[in-house]
Amino acid sequence: MTQLMSSEMAQPTLQVENLTKTFPGVIALDDVSLEVRPHEVVGLIGENGAGKSTLLNILSGLYAPDSGTLKMNGKEVSFKGPRDSARAGIGMVHQEQSLVSAVSVAENILLGAEDQSLTAGWYRWSSLNRRAQRQLDKIGSRIRPTASLGTLTFAQKQMVELAKALAVEEEYDGQPVIVLDEPTSVLESDDLETLFAEIERLRQVASVVFVSHRLDEVLRVSDRVYVMKDGRCVAERDPKTVDVDELYRLMVGRESSGQFYREAQQAPVRDAEPVLTTKGLTKKGCFVDVSLEVRPGEVLGIAGVQGAGREELSRVLFGADSYDAGEVWLSGKRVRFSSPVGAVRAGIGYIPTERRLEGIAQGMSVKENVLLADSRAVSRGPFLDPRLVKELVSQWVMKLNIKTPNIDADVANLSGGNQQKVILAKWLSSPRVKVLILDHPTRGLDVGAKEDVYALIRELCARDMAIILLGDTLEEVIALSHRVVVMRDGSISALFEAAPGRKPTPVELVKWMV
Amino acid sequence: MDGVTPMTEMTQTKNVHVGAGSSQSRLIAILPLIVLIVLVAAVTIRQPSFLNIRSLQSLSISLAPILLLGLGQTFVVLTGGIDLSNAALASLGTVLLAMWLPHFGVGAAALMIITLTLLGFVVGWVSATAQIPTFIVTLGAMGLWGGVGMVLTGEATVQIGSSYQAIAWVRDTLFLQIPMPAILAVGAVLLAAALMATLSSGRKFQAIGLAEQAVLMSGGSTFLLRCVAFALSGLCAGLAALVLTASQYSGAPHLADSLLLPVIAAIVVGGTAITGGRGGPMRTLVGASIIVVLRVGLSAIGVDAAYEQVVYGAVIILAVALTIDRSRMQVVK
Repeated sequence: MTQLMSSEMAQPTLQVENLTKTFPGVIALDDVSLEVRPHEVVGLIGENGAGKSTLLNILSGLYAPDSGTLKMNGKEVSFKGPRDSARAGIGMVHQEQSLVSAVSVAENILLGAEDQSLTAGWYRWSSLNRRAQRQLDKIGSRIRPTASLGTLTFAQKQMVELAKALAVEEEYDGQPVIVLDEPTSVLESDDLETLFAEIERLRQVASVVFVSHRLDEVLRVSDRVYVMKDGRCVAERDPKTVDVDELYRLMVGRESSGQFYREAQQAPVRDAEPVLTTKGLTKKGCFVDVSLEVRPGEVLGIAGVQGAGREELSRVLFGADSYDAGEVWLSGKRVRFSSPVGAVRAGIGYIPTERRLEGIAQGMSVKENVLLADSRAVSRGPFLDPRLVKELVSQWVMKLNIKTPNIDADVANLSGGNQQKVILAKWLSSPRVKVLILDHPTRGLDVGAKEDVYALIRELCARDMAIILLGDTLEEVIALSHRVVVMRDGSISALFEAAPGRKPTPVELVKWMV
Repeated sequence: MDGVTPMTEMTQTKNVHVGAGSSQSRLIAILPLIVLIVLVAAVTIRQPSFLNIRSLQSLSISLAPILLLGLGQTFVVLTGGIDLSNAALASLGTVLLAMWLPHFGVGAAALMIITLTLLGFVVGWVSATAQIPTFIVTLGAMGLWGGVGMVLTGEATVQIGSSYQAIAWVRDTLFLQIPMPAILAVGAVLLAAALMATLSSGRKFQAIGLAEQAVLMSGGSTFLLRCVAFALSGLCAGLAALVLTASQYSGAPHLADSLLLPVIAAIVVGGTAITGGRGGPMRTLVGASIIVVLRVGLSAIGVDAAYEQVVYGAVIILAVALTIDRSRMQVVK
């Protein structure tokens, strides 16, 4: 702690002053100033599109700012590329790992900084490994520098990323700043603890910028928190005196309260025939004897650990995979889909986990994406009616509050939450969709976008849509569902009623999951 | 623009690769047209007779088969595949037409075009069913069609005798001074472009090229669409075979083979992405025109015809290097 106290006085390691960056039609960063002091962990939060990525891209030398300055240890710096940024002492740990799997740990750590260990273009392995070891020692990792990267676990690779980021210190005289971009988004909870311990260790040798949209984690590890919103730095808070609710409010600009999941809006399911029923559905090696039903206006949650078979089940229901035994009934008729073509015709929609791959068609417009599943409503014979198209798509863009410059914009340029809304619009604009399968619909979305999705789910129920939900967290599944089916090792182990006010707790569910 | 969405919402369209991507794609849309205009101007300066009606007519006749094959190829390339067999299929078409003309008269042309459409469909079906890259399937098919042609003809050119009258109209008809082959080819391109712009399924080829999984998971039959793209490639090969047979008075098992390189060159020069998803028939029209004018230009400055293929090969590599969407390559691989 003494170290912390003294750091308050010291010259800040990194100073960002009045940074502004615009893209065509968008102000991505608007006069942003912040500083990072020696041995400090600074949290940086903000919704998707708040400007975090742009700021990080400027810090890592990928973008040049329109105006404003960067200072390292009081000296102004400017970057022409990532190499310059590394030389100035900024080490980036990217959200998606940027390692080369076919070569050794040491080669990865010193990628791009091998020069000192080269003789006429040949590696001097002893030197390379020694230098890598030095970085690994700093974070107390026991990974061997000579190990092939491909043999490491995901968490170990993250350690290598950290060591690689720390290696910037070799070329830079002073304390580096290590920027961790959403490091927790793909970690399991055990690995999470390891990472937090690592951050504490990093603090001894560096300053850390911790970027995340998980507020509780940010509060836990940071000494100070900056909140970004709409390209501005809107607040600076001390984690000791601020709570998640306040951070959330600063970040989103509205009250969070207990209404996150819109539980009050959960209407009871009326007594109607089930839309979708399965009887003894079995896919060898994935799930066995699954019988369930979902009625109009009902959210049926499916809970289970990885490998419990629920992802496979959802794909089978959508016709994307085949099954070996059992029956599927849709609106009182026995159906068997050999591909999603049949499922979609019969009225099933699917929001996939792999949003960028299976959800949206990047490179096509918002309009084209909305019409991807069903364009009959806006067609005259085989031809599209441009007027009807514009009407329908504009209507859904407004209804779902999709933030896009216009309906002809490339969907790839939208934020994750807005892309998810485009996918929803794709199914909702089709009059035939009766059942929606939501496979982790809020994965990778920030809080604000999640809330929008929750509100939409409630609205869909009110309109008699039957929903099968595979949630990102247990809380989400429990809060949103009318009933929750728990799967364990490929079969249904329990079924919970989940009326508002009488919801099961996550602990009760977990008992049946493992 | 549609005043529906609030333009004040500034929070989107970032964390994107907006910069490079969009300016590159805008350039790709315009650049080929500029190249064409510059080429035409250059050739005209060197050879003022280039723009007289006779020379333009002969230019349009040599444009026709490249454009037709290019149009067929465009459908396949848009879906993210490539059809190396469509020039060889056209060669086979000239053989079939030459052999069938004495028996069926003008009906032979229709029969040949239908046959080639079906053969194209089969190639697409094999590729989609067996999940083999189109590059490999069509490489095999290219050899296959050539071989079948050789077997049918005994490795000789099939001369057309008096039955040529049945297809003489293709060579002889002039409408507003425009030769029939050019009308067929440009007409097919315009029709395709118009249909792709207005049909409700018109952009599906592009959609597959950009995001096959997304189309599949939206209930689109990517299987059928792939087959259709190849069937259209076969159909266009049939039209090209008709035009070629009419201008050569004969059919031969390798008659159209040398067109493969200029056809692919035409597509990439026109600005259709070889990785699929972006481009279309109109771009191929521009690209094919560039290739044909380039050929005339080369002979105008005295380059030996033997160097033509050298130029096409270089043009393909250069055009792809300039136009390829590398941001997508990282995602697609």
